[in-house]
Amino acid sequence: MTVSYYQAVCVAVLVAGSLWAQSAGTPGYDINYIGLPMADPILQHSKEMYVLYGCSYCHGLHLESRGEATDLMHSRLVGRDENANLIGPLLRAGIPQTAKLSPMPQFSDLSDQQISAIAMWIHYARQQGRYKELSGAKDLSAGNAGAGKAYFEGKCSSCHSMPGDWKGDPAALRARILRPKFLDAAESWQVERLRDTKTAAARQRHLALLENYSADDVANLIAYLIGK
Amino acid sequence: MTALTRRDFGKCALAGLTASALAQPAVTPNRSYINGVQFGLQPFCYHDLPMTQENRPTLVKRLVQNGFGMVELHATWCEPRFDAPGVSAEVAREKLRNWRVTTPADYYRNIKKEFDDAGVTIFTYWVGINESYSDAEIDATYEAAKALGAKGAVGSQGLAVSERLAPFTAKHGIFTGLHNHDNLSDPDALSNEASFDKGLAYSPNFKATLDVRHFTAGNGDCIGFLERHHERVSSVHLGDRRKNNGRSAPFGEGDAPIIQILRLIRDNRWTIVALLEFEHGTLRTGVEEVQLMFDYCKRALA
Repeated sequence: MTVSYYQAVCVAVLVAGSLWAQSAGTPGYDINYIGLPMADPILQHSKEMYVLYGCSYCHGLHLESRGEATDLMHSRLVGRDENANLIGPLLRAGIPQTAKLSPMPQFSDLSDQQISAIAMWIHYARQQGRYKELSGAKDLSAGNAGAGKAYFEGKCSSCHSMPGDWKGDPAALRARILRPKFLDAAESWQVERLRDTKTAAARQRHLALLENYSADDVANLIAYLIGK
Repeated sequence: MTALTRRDFGKCALAGLTASALAQPAVTPNRSYINGVQFGLQPFCYHDLPMTQENRPTLVKRLVQNGFGMVELHATWCEPRFDAPGVSAEVAREKLRNWRVTTPADYYRNIKKEFDDAGVTIFTYWVGINESYSDAEIDATYEAAKALGAKGAVGSQGLAVSERLAPFTAKHGIFTGLHNHDNLSDPDALSNEASFDKGLAYSPNFKATLDVRHFTAGNGDCIGFLERHHERVSSVHLGDRRKNNGRSAPFGEGDAPIIQILRLIRDNRWTIVALLEFEHGTLRTGVEEVQLMFDYCKRALA
C-alpha cells in the first residue's frame, strides 16, 4: 500500500506536535535532563531508576566522570559485573571506609528489581559510551597482529572457530567487532525463544566485550584479522 | 506564638537580644524569611544546571522563581574554567590561581549587583580551599567573599586546612564555615560532633555549617548538636538522608529531623540560616523539586 501525500503530512504534523509537546516540558518529568522517553520501556525504566535513586548526581546520567565519584565508564568492577552480581552487593553495602570526602552511600533498602534496573542502565550507558570512544579511536593501522591473535584465541575462538574472510575496510571491520549486527535484533519473549540460551549468551558476551575492549585490543584484532 | 516578626528579626540582628545572638552573623530579612526562619538555597540542588559563570543569570532567575532571597554561592558560579582538552591539570590549576590573585574586587561587586538587583542576598561564598592554595590565593578568596557581600567563606576542607585558615579569617573579618560530610573513617574529616569540637576550637571566627543530611547519615544527633552548639552554627544545609551511611531521600523520607530542626530555630529565635540542599534523585526539573522541598519546609513552620 502506498502512503498518500495527505497521510504523510498528517503523520509529520502529529510527530512534530508530539515532539513539541514533549520538549515544552511535561510536569514531573525533566525532559531536558533525562531526555525523550526511550523506545524500549524496560530501558527507560532502568534509566529512571538510575536517576531517581540519585546515581546520576555523582556518576553522571551517561557515566560522565564527575568530581571524586568513581568513573563507571572505565571501572573494572563494572566491566566484570554480570547481571548485578558485583554492582548489587556494592550498592547494598556502600563504601563507608574511604579516603574520599564523601563515602558512597548504601542502598540496602532497594529491591532486587530496582538494583537490577540500575545495573542495567549502567551497562547500557557504558556500552553506548565505549562504542563512541572506541569508534573514534584514531589510528587503526597501528595494531599488533601477534597480540590480536592472542586476544582472538583467548576471547573469541571458543565460538568463532574460523575468522573467515575479513579483508576490507578496517573501519567497517571495527564496526563489526564492536557491534555485531545480531545485537540489533529485538529480543523475543516468546516461550519457545526463552530457551534460546545460545543467542542470549552470545549477546551477553559481546556486550561484555564491548564494555571491556581497549583501543589497543581493537586495533590488534583488526591487524590480525586483516593480515590473516 | 513564638516566631519572630520581620521587624523583630531585624532588631534582633542589629542589636542582639543576648550575647549568643551577637555572636551570630547578622542577616537582612528578605522574601525567603518564613515564619521565623531565614531560608536560602545551595544551588547545587539544580542538578540540571551546571554551576558555571555562563549559567549564573539562569541561577538568579530560578532563585527568584522558587521564592528565595538568599543563596550560598559556589565559587564555580563566578570563576572561569581553565581545564580543556590538551590542557594539563597542573597548567589549568596554575591559570586559575593566577586568575584568582589578579581579579579585582569590582569583578565580584558586579556579581553581587546581579543578585542584589534580583533581591537575593549572597549569604556565604562556597569555596574549596585545600592544600594546593597559596597564601595569596587564600587571601584573594576571602577578598572575593567580602566583595560579594558574603558573611563567610564556607567549605568542606579538613581539619588540617581549617587550622591553617584561622589567621586568614581573623584578618579578613568574616567567618569561615566548616561543612561536614559523613566520612567517619578519615580523622581529618569534619563528620561528627567530636570533629566539630576540634575544628571550632581553632578560631572563634569559625562557624559550623551543619549539613544535617550527612550528619544524620553519620548517625549524628542533629537536635543535640544544635542545642549544644547553636551559638557557633551559622547555617544548616537542610536535606534528608538515611542513617548508617544511607542514601539521600526526598524531605520526610529519610532520618534527618527536618521539621524539628526548623521549629527549633524558629522557637529559639536563632539566626541560623536554613539552606536547602539535597542530592536525592528526581525525575522532575530542578525548579519543581526545589519548590516541593521548600513547600515541605514552609508547611513545617505554618
